[in-house]
Amino acid sequence: MNACLAGGSRRRFATAVVALALLGGGLTTQAAEPTPDVPVLVPITGFLAAEGSSQRNGALLALQNPPPGVRPRFAVTDTGTSPEGAVNALERALSDGNVTVVVASMLGTQMLAMLPIALAQKVPLITMSGTADITRKGNPYVFRFFPADSVVKGTQVKYAIEAHHIQKPAVIYQTTAYGQSGHTEILAALAAAGIKPVYEDALDVGVKDMRPVIAKAVAAGADSLLLQLHGGPTALFLKAVAAMDVHLPIVAGSALSQPATVALLEPAEIKGACAETGSSPVSAETPAMKDFLTRYRAAFHTDPDGFALGQYDATMMALEAVAKGAATAQAVTNALATESYKGVAMTYKSDGHGNMAHSAVIVCFDGTSRVPVVARHYDFPTAP
Amino acid sequence: MPIAQLLVEVLALGAAYALVALGFVLILNATGAVNFAQGDLVMAGGFGAVLLADRLHVPGLLLLPALLAGMALLGVIVAFAAYMPLRRRPPEAVFISTIAVGIILQNVANRLFGAEPVATPPLLGAGRVRFAGVDASVQSVAIIGVAALLIAALYTLFTHTQFGRRLRATAQDRDMAMAIGIPVDRMIAGTFAVAAALAGAAGLLLSNTFFVTPTSGADYMIKAYIAVVIGGWGSIRGAVAGALLIASFEVLYPSLPLLIPALLRMPSSDSIFSQTTSTIVLDVAVLLILVARPQGLFGEAARQRP
Repeated sequence: MNACLAGGSRRRFATAVVALALLGGGLTTQAAEPTPDVPVLVPITGFLAAEGSSQRNGALLALQNPPPGVRPRFAVTDTGTSPEGAVNALERALSDGNVTVVVASMLGTQMLAMLPIALAQKVPLITMSGTADITRKGNPYVFRFFPADSVVKGTQVKYAIEAHHIQKPAVIYQTTAYGQSGHTEILAALAAAGIKPVYEDALDVGVKDMRPVIAKAVAAGADSLLLQLHGGPTALFLKAVAAMDVHLPIVAGSALSQPATVALLEPAEIKGACAETGSSPVSAETPAMKDFLTRYRAAFHTDPDGFALGQYDATMMALEAVAKGAATAQAVTNALATESYKGVAMTYKSDGHGNMAHSAVIVCFDGTSRVPVVARHYDFPTAP
Repeated sequence: MPIAQLLVEVLALGAAYALVALGFVLILNATGAVNFAQGDLVMAGGFGAVLLADRLHVPGLLLLPALLAGMALLGVIVAFAAYMPLRRRPPEAVFISTIAVGIILQNVANRLFGAEPVATPPLLGAGRVRFAGVDASVQSVAIIGVAALLIAALYTLFTHTQFGRRLRATAQDRDMAMAIGIPVDRMIAGTFAVAAALAGAAGLLLSNTFFVTPTSGADYMIKAYIAVVIGGWGSIRGAVAGALLIASFEVLYPSLPLLIPALLRMPSSDSIFSQTTSTIVLDVAVLLILVARPQGLFGEAARQRP
């Protein structure tokens, strides 16, 4: 009986061992190949479609080439340009309750609408939005991987002063939130250097003829042109400057670093012009950036911009956190908030408010090519 | 900046806007409905020209006939998709359907061409031309010439052809036109074709200098609407005049301090003569015109019988 019982115990023990082994094996397989759910919610139609498409492409390149052992599940949803579109997309994505991290729209108004939901659901949002407010609301679930306006505009002014010794700049900006936010930061950076613009003008995105603005800036005695314009208007402005044979130093916003903007201009029309940006992947400064450029071109048959690279780095940082064992949204949030990550463009680290990018570059065009060279790097320990 | 040079730019911009506004007013007269897709047809024309240029590698001027034909076909499709099924419904139904057509066109363009701005080829070539002391771009002069030819062709079509007379009859009184045997539906489809062709031509003319994106139609739609309101709801002459007035505000108003240097010394001169203020002044002018002359500058338009 005892022997029988012993025999039964052995069988039960053996069965339990096999079951545990199978379960353990299953668990081991699951741990080795986590499948984080990473919805990509970006504007790929509407007025921010070009930038949103870059953001999408950067995220997709990372999600399709994740760190070893990670198999992300993802789907792209177009948020359009309305806050409701973004909120609906986020709520749909969160409806299954298993989302690990969200690639979130770069449109500030959409981000502001999504923040309360992310806070309530405790899901991290990784974004390229430059809107200052999104990291000023004390929300621990937002992480911005593009340098804040205070960083890039500070860089733009600093370079203009260092390289061109400007004293009487003209500041031309867009009437949009993007333009006005940048304008404020440019004025603050100029004021910090004791410089007051001799001419300022705000342009609606529909303005076609840039020559009156340029002529008035020249008439006001401007010694340089600082721009904060969207891509199309930046190209129009530079075309008009070239046509008017005006030879003032131009330091533009990040729009001029975007390949799509430069494609609208002849190399001679941008000779000597410079622009600020978080990074310039087409310049392929490092082997890692060269590799990124090659893979991006192969995947999307177009050139990447700083938004694409920033979103790639952001997504890879989140996936690396998953690879290291961050299995839940909260664990990924903690990793993003506390860890440092060496990406392709720069090293990212939160300043405690979710601002992850603290470096910017100035790129300039030599008049023979549409590919800019990186003229100067600027690093800021934390976002000012 | 000499005034003559500015006037060339006003004429070039105004002529291109006039093509958009003319297409808008033709459909308005023929159907009594506002075609809110007119701006997006301009965008479609811009992308159509980019597509043709990519295939044919010829100057923009040589693309024009093919573009006009393609856009006319698109206009007929819009007529049968967005107007014909709703022609017996209240005008609001057509407003909505044309808005829907515009959104569809934007999304198709986004899907086919991407969201990034692109430029159409120049009509003749790059560079500048000097005549009578005026220094202007070849493109601006070519825009004026092409737009003038198209407007003249439109005038000839309406006044010297049987087709044009039938179009006018349909616009003036659809029921009477039908009663005397004019194929009204075909005439309306023809009007959509002409309007879309004009919009497409404007897309070719404007998108070389100002680029085209899937969303750039909205701006042209607003300008066409304002031009028609200023000129007189339904007036063809008024649409052209309104378009030129809009271009004048865009180009001349911000340049006033350059033409009259004393204005530069005015307090807040930068703000008063900024591009933003020029838009505000234009809108105030529109309001004043509507108050003082509600029928617009060229008020006696062809009207539908109530």
